[in-house]
Amino acid sequence: MSLIELKEVSKLYGFGDATVVALDEINISVSKGEFVAVMGPSGSGKSTLMNLIGLLDRPTHGSFSLNDRSVERLRTNQRAKVRRDTIGFVFQSFNLLPKLTVLENVALPLVYKGITQTRRLKQAGAMLERVGLSDREQFYPKQLSGGQAQRVAIARALVNNPHIIIADEPTGNLDSQSSRLVMELLADIHKSGGTILMVTHNPELTRYATRVVFMHDGDIIGDEQSALGQVPKLLKKTMYSLSRFSLEDDLAGVSVLMKTFPDKIEKQKARKKIQPKKRATKKRTAKK
Amino acid sequence: MTFGNNMKEALFSLKTSRWRSMLTVLGIIIGVASVVTIVSIGEGVRKQVEGQINILGSDTITVRPGKSVTRNSEGKIIDVNLLASQSNGSFSNNDYEVISKSKNVLVSVPFSKISAVAKTDEREFLDGNVVATTSELPKVLKQKVLYGEFFDDKNPNKNIAILGKKVAQELFNENVPIGKSLQIREEQFIVGGIMDNYANNPLSPSTDYNRTIFIPYETGKKISGGQTQIYQVLVVPEAIGLTDEVAKNITINLQKAHGNQEDFTVLKKEDTLAVTNGILKLLTSLIAGLAGISLIVGGIGIMNIMLLSVTERTREIGVRKAVGATNRQILNQFLTEAAILSLAGGFLGIIVSLVVDYAIALFTDIVPAITFPIMGIALVLALAVGVFFGITPALKAASKDPIDALRYE
Repeated sequence: MSLIELKEVSKLYGFGDATVVALDEINISVSKGEFVAVMGPSGSGKSTLMNLIGLLDRPTHGSFSLNDRSVERLRTNQRAKVRRDTIGFVFQSFNLLPKLTVLENVALPLVYKGITQTRRLKQAGAMLERVGLSDREQFYPKQLSGGQAQRVAIARALVNNPHIIIADEPTGNLDSQSSRLVMELLADIHKSGGTILMVTHNPELTRYATRVVFMHDGDIIGDEQSALGQVPKLLKKTMYSLSRFSLEDDLAGVSVLMKTFPDKIEKQKARKKIQPKKRATKKRTAKK
Repeated sequence: MTFGNNMKEALFSLKTSRWRSMLTVLGIIIGVASVVTIVSIGEGVRKQVEGQINILGSDTITVRPGKSVTRNSEGKIIDVNLLASQSNGSFSNNDYEVISKSKNVLVSVPFSKISAVAKTDEREFLDGNVVATTSELPKVLKQKVLYGEFFDDKNPNKNIAILGKKVAQELFNENVPIGKSLQIREEQFIVGGIMDNYANNPLSPSTDYNRTIFIPYETGKKISGGQTQIYQVLVVPEAIGLTDEVAKNITINLQKAHGNQEDFTVLKKEDTLAVTNGILKLLTSLIAGLAGISLIVGGIGIMNIMLLSVTERTREIGVRKAVGATNRQILNQFLTEAAILSLAGGFLGIIVSLVVDYAIALFTDIVPAITFPIMGIALVLALAVGVFFGITPALKAASKDPIDALRYE
């Protein structure tokens, strides 16, 4: 029984010649309690995948079930409700509303659930206590440091008791000290049974994850279970190859991952050659 | 999301952009204030006229020269000719006698305008009328003589003048100039009495009795060379039930005297009410319609500011959607904001028009009447404007794609 089940899911943007394939027939299933780190170069479809799983977007093809419920054909308002009740988002840029206090920001998801203000603020207060920011309740987001803001954002994501936390580069804007605090918090949530999907560029952070998924050009090219505190083997190769990464490579736009999985990429290319028609419509997406 | 929440959110976001909100509301304030002021002036004038007509008593019949109304076969007024009611035509002394000698007429009071300027040694009185009439006028107009006495019928040729309240103040510079003299067409008149303040009718300034000098009918005839220019005759029948019959009699008799033509108007109390109400309703709705244009301009202001606000808050919309807001909840949020803007404009507009109306009542004869229905309609109207012009921006906000909205800088 998996919490998230994607089968042959594709996402295409644009029409005709300008069609961009952001996700190419992806299959992935995530069970309850997993901490999945998603890695890959810019434009590999990580964010698109997160948006799909977070019900912000709809797949072009394929089936997607959440909690054993098929959700790919849900209408906008139903998706909003499922999103409200099952998903918590943590963004790279925090996305706190600047005009609301920290407490009100945390309480925001409960507003759309129709919970009374007293109960909202009480629950939000409890969440802030969990992330260790009870003394910042009446502050405004701009009065917080980056790390504090992200912890508030995590509190907001948690306040609805979601089944899944989707974190899109949660430490992207933070220094290493704050990053560590935020990651400890996520690890804490994971330890208490939460399911977390996290996009990251930082290989070190995969130590917190139980599973690492590598993406490239809309495909999943690597999927490895890893013990907590360990950097997965595939990634170690990547890290060791760092020294071989030259300026020439950089100019050529070759990513670290492409070097790590030479055989896989070759295989992929070979596969695509067999289907020339399909390939004509596929281009690397410009989206991050 | 509950309505109360929407209200709070909307109030909060309006408060944070205070100047912008105030300027937007100003448009609605001007719109609502102008509509309410005009309608309340119309309503006030209507009430004044009605009050004046009611003072005349339910049995009084008004006869005027010129055919100002058209009636259907049942005698109901179907059309009002505004120009005829302001015409220069007048009744002759003969007409007056026809009216007064009609069957069942108890009293008939002529109002004969004399083209004259009254003056004393010090000043002239230009801003009013000289009216020649009979001794029954105070009774028929239900108007008291404040000081002195109205002239009686014992010596119909006496040169006595009864002054309206303002005439006394402006011509003699005192409240009770009884016994003093004034000149009308080289004739000396003695002031015999001062009328009580007359509740004015702003619609017809020609009958401002506070600015009128009343002289005896026969004297008036004498100084204008035997001619009369009767612009109105008020008739009281012998008994209340006889009103219809007397009106009919007068009509028939006058028609006979005028070569079978109905070139005059006989109005009962309810006719007079209907005529003035008709005229006022037309005028008020016409001007209120014009003022309503400013309300539409105010609505466009709201739409403009809401569109701007939606664009500015794109990211906020994205966040709200990401945490689970449905399109409908976003729509309601922005719609509530627009509605609050316009309702605030409505409230403040009513307050402004209350102030303006107070000023109008202070400085003119018009007493505007703001009634609760007028206020209610103004608020509903303002709300309707807000919702109508707020729906497009709100729809725009609701239909934003959350992914694009979250990426918006």
